[in-house]
Amino acid sequence: MKAMEFNSGKIPVWCPGCGNFAIWNAIKGALADLEISGKDVVNISGIGCSGKMLNHLRTYGFHTLHGRTLPVATGVKLSNHKLTVVVNGGDGDGYGMGVGHFIHAIRRNLDVTYLVHDNHIYGLTTGQASPTTDKGLKSKSTPHGVIDEPLNPLAVALNAGATFVARGYSGEVEHLKELIKAGINYKGFAYIDILQPCVTFGKTYSYEYYDERIYKLDESYDFTNFDNAMKKIWEKEKIALGIIYKKERDEYASLHPQLKDDILLNSTGKLRDISDELARFK
Amino acid sequence: MSVITWKIGGPAGFGIMSAGPMFAMALKRSGYSVHGYPEYPSIIRGGYNNYHVTFSDKPVFSVYNRCDILVALDKVVFDSETITKNMIVIADFDNIKGTEDLECKKVNIPFKKILKDNELPDIVKNSIALGVSAKILGIDEEILFKLFEENYPAKVLDMNISAAKIGMEFCLDEMKFKAPKGNSNFKDNLLMTGNEAIALGAVKAGLGFYSTYPMTPASSILHYLAKLEEKYGIIVKHTEDEISGIIMAIGASYAGVRAMTGTSGGGLSLMTEGVGLAAITETPLVIALSQRPGPATGMPTWTEQADLKFVLNISQDEFVKIVLTPGDLNELFYMTFEAFNLADRYQVPVFVLTDKFLSESHFCEAIFNDNGLKIDRGFIFEGNSEAPMEFFPRYKEVENGIPMKSNPGTPGGLYKAPGNEHDDFGFVATDSKTRIKNQERRFKKEEFIKKELPLPKLYGPKDAEITFVCWGSTKQPLMEALKHNDKFNFLHFSAINPIDWKQVKNMFKDKNLVAIETNFTGQLASVIAEKTGIVIKDKYLKYDGRPFFVEEIIEYVKRGN
Repeated sequence: MKAMEFNSGKIPVWCPGCGNFAIWNAIKGALADLEISGKDVVNISGIGCSGKMLNHLRTYGFHTLHGRTLPVATGVKLSNHKLTVVVNGGDGDGYGMGVGHFIHAIRRNLDVTYLVHDNHIYGLTTGQASPTTDKGLKSKSTPHGVIDEPLNPLAVALNAGATFVARGYSGEVEHLKELIKAGINYKGFAYIDILQPCVTFGKTYSYEYYDERIYKLDESYDFTNFDNAMKKIWEKEKIALGIIYKKERDEYASLHPQLKDDILLNSTGKLRDISDELARFK
Repeated sequence: MSVITWKIGGPAGFGIMSAGPMFAMALKRSGYSVHGYPEYPSIIRGGYNNYHVTFSDKPVFSVYNRCDILVALDKVVFDSETITKNMIVIADFDNIKGTEDLECKKVNIPFKKILKDNELPDIVKNSIALGVSAKILGIDEEILFKLFEENYPAKVLDMNISAAKIGMEFCLDEMKFKAPKGNSNFKDNLLMTGNEAIALGAVKAGLGFYSTYPMTPASSILHYLAKLEEKYGIIVKHTEDEISGIIMAIGASYAGVRAMTGTSGGGLSLMTEGVGLAAITETPLVIALSQRPGPATGMPTWTEQADLKFVLNISQDEFVKIVLTPGDLNELFYMTFEAFNLADRYQVPVFVLTDKFLSESHFCEAIFNDNGLKIDRGFIFEGNSEAPMEFFPRYKEVENGIPMKSNPGTPGGLYKAPGNEHDDFGFVATDSKTRIKNQERRFKKEEFIKKELPLPKLYGPKDAEITFVCWGSTKQPLMEALKHNDKFNFLHFSAINPIDWKQVKNMFKDKNLVAIETNFTGQLASVIAEKTGIVIKDKYLKYDGRPFFVEEIIEYVKRGN
């Protein structure tokens, strides 16, 4: 399938200039480049503008409740581990309500690609601070300025044991597309935080803001070095894009002997013989 | 009719919960019908644990308050139990102060001395007690030792057998209890807990995925299924919380796998949003709910039936949910099995309600016949390879309000499953026409489900002075009480929603109704009033965390209401 063919035919309702358009294009491009059929892809979306991605892809899709993308993804992936599962959530969705599931999905090393549209603001609920909003920033829910320290989600991921940690930017679509491809190809939990300006409510984190600060990691960067990765993640003035940390690790489904020969879907819903189990109760 | 009760008690950590069920099984294998009821506090060591076995040469269903033979492994038992004149009490009386004046029949077993003289550890005290009990009741020692073999690891087996043998030697002929002889009627019966029946019903139905967070008294469903997961090719997950537990199961079911979650009231509080998500996405889901007293953490290891209205009204807005309220092992097994068919056929959440009493007590029934068990996965789209990338009208009615499912990966079956209101293809839609069409279609299913769910069943004499109205586990003590009294009968609801209330109303005609429930307000009575307009004024309610004891029901009937 060509990238265009992944359009669902529904016209997006994102604001003009929204970073979501770029993420949409990057996902379509990645699926096309990898020659994956839309019927074998499940896109799981959370709540918020990121969640609307669901409507625009010609794939299977599940639009879950706020923060609950990764448990759905776990159920889907273990039931049919041949499917490609791409999860789209926002910073509010994934780092607020869903932060617990985020850490546990990392522990499991579930083979999904997790894209967090990180615009440092709640867009769909019209502009409240999110867990990644910087201290001091005024928003509808923090008119006197945020007094909580912002969450550094990549540091959280790395400390929780994530083995594919990357950062993309919606102003760099080609680069983002390559990251998503690497994520889909990675056998395990591929986590990509995507910097994404919210043109309506997130005036601080604008394209200009990012364009001044971002730089791409080049081939000289060793993404297998944990300490290097930690340093990159805590850089103050500059923002590194690319695969920040990557390491091989057993993927979750492969650790289930029940899934060795076939997908779970093929054995479910059939009458089972339980007579030897019943004999124990006699 | 002769019903005998045997009880073993001691502090948590003394092996009461292994000795009790083992002895219950020994009695079953000796030809008795058996019921076993555990009581324990929510702590790991200390406190008072006991396991109460009721047995007879006729079927037994439930627990009595009285005790014929009491095994007291420690002083704590005397602090907690009422000792009566006719009781046989097995204890180390030499070492328990304050028991000198008790008027019971004392069987003095010097546990402390036996352990010391034979260099045995404290943990085999329960095996000495089982040896004594077997001897007193005339249980063949081979039956007991076979059970030891099945339950103990090899390295401690001999130690437990010799402890039991020493116990047996201490029994003199005059200590023996005249029990009715066991018969072969119960040879093929199963002795198992309600939670085991639920788990096996699910396995039989082709369960693929069970995910939850442990919560008493539902945890043993998780434990038992986890033990079986590799044998039967099931995925069993102890998730990070109950929210993840239910949502993961929804993900699995969306992918086409038969999925279940299980919890108690506190866990269901967290799962509530997930129930609504399953409902609007029409994802089949079975939820086993084992009730305990609440609210919040309440009384974790005790019993109550007080979550009925919570379940009937669960999650925001209105949607169809099926609520099954089985009352015995048979109903638990077959209804859990059928719960998966109903979930697949109607694509709605299906609750199987139980409670601590039903979930964790041992019941003895001849059940689980394979005949007639059929799997129905409902409408599933088989695919269209001509147009593999086409969107599919997943939410379009096929018949009876039911749409057709399409499993991800199916060519031409693409759709979106959203928590939002949506069009036929699953794209978000908020126009009034679509909303009305969907609500009406989803509720249309109710009429057809009604025809499938069992109406309440009458037990006991056709005409009686009192007709108890009950649901779930209360069937058990009523069945037992029926053996002693024919002045009452009872209507048992094994399903509550959606059922044909017009027919139920007819069943109530000319009856002196008494609602009997283990909750404070009489929740079924309240549902009956809402659905039929019939107000049941007399309510016999218990809310102390204990099930109805048989004597209490007999007493209530004698007293007249």
